[in-house]
Amino acid sequence: MNKLFNRNKMLMILFGIIVLILLIGFSMGDRDSTTKAEQFTADATAGTQTVIGAPLNFVSSIFSTISKSFGAIEENEKLKAKLDMLPQMEADIERLEAENEELREALDVSSKREYDTTAARVISRSPDQWLNSFTIDKGEKDGLTEGMAVMTTEGLIGTVRRANGGSSYIEMLTTSVSQNNLSVEIMHDDTPVYGNVSRYDNERNLLVVENIKNRSGLEKGDEVFTSGLVGDFPEGLIIGTVVEVENDEYGLSQNAYVQLKSNVDDIDTVFVLKRSPESTED
Amino acid sequence: MKAIIIFLFSLLFMYLDFLFAEFSPVTISGLEVYFVSRLLLMFVLLISIYVSPSMSAFIGIVFGLMLDVYIGSVYGIHSFGMVAFVAFMHTAFRVFYKDFVAMAFVILLLTFLYETYIYFIYRLLDLVYMPIFDYLALRAAPSLLLNALLFFFVFVTALKTSKVRNNLQSKY
Repeated sequence: MNKLFNRNKMLMILFGIIVLILLIGFSMGDRDSTTKAEQFTADATAGTQTVIGAPLNFVSSIFSTISKSFGAIEENEKLKAKLDMLPQMEADIERLEAENEELREALDVSSKREYDTTAARVISRSPDQWLNSFTIDKGEKDGLTEGMAVMTTEGLIGTVRRANGGSSYIEMLTTSVSQNNLSVEIMHDDTPVYGNVSRYDNERNLLVVENIKNRSGLEKGDEVFTSGLVGDFPEGLIIGTVVEVENDEYGLSQNAYVQLKSNVDDIDTVFVLKRSPESTED
Repeated sequence: MKAIIIFLFSLLFMYLDFLFAEFSPVTISGLEVYFVSRLLLMFVLLISIYVSPSMSAFIGIVFGLMLDVYIGSVYGIHSFGMVAFVAFMHTAFRVFYKDFVAMAFVILLLTFLYETYIYFIYRLLDLVYMPIFDYLALRAAPSLLLNALLFFFVFVTALKTSKVRNNLQSKY
């Protein structure tokens, strides 16, 4: 053993293990801010990646444009047809928004559903491919902070774990780290039933919601939304659909297995939601 | 000059590792098969042979930290792992007969062990639930195959990089 690992090398490895344990403790701790050192390192890496990736992205965009151009005429026709309906839809939305506002004022309540969105592009995914986490090209200077909800066009996908200057690190709902305190409401016959996300079942690729009251009558196909009760998540963000309901091991409450609306393996553009300050006052 | 070239190639390999992550997992017969490339790790290990272990350890720490902070949920895994594996490489190469086949074998074995080391740390922290046999069949084996295919490309790059300084010296 002495020949293979001399004393200095052994000491260095032992020291490294201690540093590793300290770093794991630091990174796994419940923090609500990102240090300047982390922001600088992450932004520097994102910057160099953008420079190195520029030529490759340019080449891939050429191929992508060529392949998309084949179906462009047909797609254009479909979009034109949809566009004809747009003025009517806009008018309807304006009318409903005004009506909603009037009714809310009459009831004297604020909405937990109000939020601003920031569109962002995924610039890299973890090469480990263990936690499905990714980095986006918007950060603190765009108004992003830790804990904000992240969505795709299909539904909720994760949360902002670290907001750097010009980039942010997003953790998916599929990782146990990001599920803490995520309260959800399951709509069954227009009645909300509340529960908490406990974990992600990797074998079945389903989200597990626990602490649902017994005899709630939940059924397959019921839709799951954020409740807006805990954290910075606005109310009413769609998460997924119930595929199975079962009693918990003590029979005191129920668990629901939820299929996520978003495809976790194919994410290109996301929306970061900033809950409006008025909606958090309740 | 050599240090700059090594740094630039390390950046390139790190970016290529990110790029491979875009195409994985691949669904084969309803099963998700993961191909995890370890170009940066293989390059760092090769640098420890063809340039110097200290340079390799330095590159390992810098890029390990960058990976940890940029795209990691748990800090320290890559920065510690890279340096530890450079030490293992240095030790293993004293035992094995130094030829190309032995070197390729040791490097591919270490990439496999590196993947397993990350798997065990995540299992220990309760972040992943993949059973060991699923890990070996759907992740470790396909990744080893991919890295074996990519090894020659990294080997040529490391070999050329190690000669940069000599070429410059011969000119002046």
